[in-house]
Amino acid sequence: MSLVVKDLTHVYMPGTPYQHVALDNVSLTINDGEFAAIIGHTGSGKSTLVQHFNGLIKATSGSITVNGIDITQKDADMKQARRMVGLVFQYPEYQLFEETIYKDIAFGPRNLKLSEEEIDERVREACALVNLDFETMKEKSPFELSGGQKRRVAIAGVLAMRPDILILDEPTAGLDPRGRDEILALIEAWHKLGKTIIMVSHSMDDVAKYADHIIAFKSGRIAVEGSAQEVFMEPDKLIEIGLDVPKSVKLSHMFMEKGINTGLCYTAQQLKDSLKKILGGGMNAG
Amino acid sequence: MLGDITIGQFFPGDTVVHRVDPRVKLVLTVLYIIAVFMVRSVVGYGLLLLCVLAIARMSKVPFKYIMKGLKPILFICIFTFTLNIFFTKGENLIFEWKFIKIYKESLINAVYFALRLVFLVIGTSLLTLTTSPMALTDGLERLLKPLKKIKFPVHELSMMMSIALRFIPTLLEETDKIMKAQIARGADFESGNIFERAKAMIPLLVPLFVSAFRRADELAMAMESRCYRGDVNRTRMKTLKMEKRDYTAIALSFVVLALVIVERSVL
Repeated sequence: MSLVVKDLTHVYMPGTPYQHVALDNVSLTINDGEFAAIIGHTGSGKSTLVQHFNGLIKATSGSITVNGIDITQKDADMKQARRMVGLVFQYPEYQLFEETIYKDIAFGPRNLKLSEEEIDERVREACALVNLDFETMKEKSPFELSGGQKRRVAIAGVLAMRPDILILDEPTAGLDPRGRDEILALIEAWHKLGKTIIMVSHSMDDVAKYADHIIAFKSGRIAVEGSAQEVFMEPDKLIEIGLDVPKSVKLSHMFMEKGINTGLCYTAQQLKDSLKKILGGGMNAG
Repeated sequence: MLGDITIGQFFPGDTVVHRVDPRVKLVLTVLYIIAVFMVRSVVGYGLLLLCVLAIARMSKVPFKYIMKGLKPILFICIFTFTLNIFFTKGENLIFEWKFIKIYKESLINAVYFALRLVFLVIGTSLLTLTTSPMALTDGLERLLKPLKKIKFPVHELSMMMSIALRFIPTLLEETDKIMKAQIARGADFESGNIFERAKAMIPLLVPLFVSAFRRADELAMAMESRCYRGDVNRTRMKTLKMEKRDYTAIALSFVVLALVIVERSVL
């Protein structure tokens, strides 16, 4: 049960002046239960890559295996693949269309041809997962909501399909800090249920806080890959490809250069704990 | 499937065909359309085909690209062809089976009609492929300028046109995105009978309309905040100027048109 990408290449509009190689021989494996983050600049191929994962874009060459099913085969069961892999697009609130929030979240389960009771159960479950009060929200129009609420409804629409692998393409884009924290918290909660998460993101701080597998893209190729520990150990590599490193990583590297052994910290919390320990130890000795 | 639409698509380049003044290109396209409806012999069609091929060659737009524009009208072509074959009458019967009668004249007529459609589409797509939307509306605005005297809103019309053309790719992209998002939620746009398919379009059309209105609103706001108020006292960064190549293009076209008129009266 995992997602294996092998030698994936994708060329946009071949044979026209707009021809563009979006993905160039990409290979990677994302294991079950992982929280993987894909980072990179605009146009580096991140969104193209994740759209391959449930067959929305056909690969020019290479293969993608989801839970043992090769979805790049011609006769692959795409419906089954899309049931396993849920994809939340960038600005997902623009996909809302139904008269009521209930109907909108039920759209996915209904397409799976589930029974009414099953649909009802799933809508309630999805609402709870994204912190929407089912009773007050179900009859409202999705167009009356605020931006952050709309996005949560849209995410609930994908969660209601109960995917094993949830992909989110820049889920926090355009939200205020509070909306961002809410979305990230609900993604983390979903991950804690044992689901695999793949998050495309610009924000290094978010990535550092949640991801345990980091894949950095540059011009359609994987530039840096590894666990958070591995990737942030050598921040120069990220800086070289024009990406930022979390502030805590920069700070802890600065501390270590000065001989204060904080160890590598990639969240503010870790750095705080580590400094506390060092200071506390110093006081005891003094 | 959305990639097939080439109407209004610009194929960038820096050839003579690209550089000819858009006003000239527009007028010549109109003349070309008139010519297409005037010719009525193999020689005439050959002449037009030669012109189109020469221009296509000079523009360096791949032939495949031009032909792609024909795909959507294939059905209309076949439809007019069949109508013409079966429902026009002539003198020389060449085929008869029960109530179906095909005359030589109707067959020729049908072929010509289908050819006309093909020529029309190829000619006009050459225009849009080699002229950027901005240049096109600019040229149109200048050409229609005399109509301003009778209070015709020329500037507004061309502004609307350029906005519409500008947003075709944006809306196509948006359609593609929403479609994918709904497919990811299990929507099915490709199977079922016509009613089911029409119903399946709702999850696509509602978000598309919502976003089109939102975009219109935002664009109007952005234009107003930059003090746009129609063409009062508006000047241009690039003023259109006729050059030698433009006069050459006009001269050559008149030769072709003259030949077409000769062909019509002689053959």
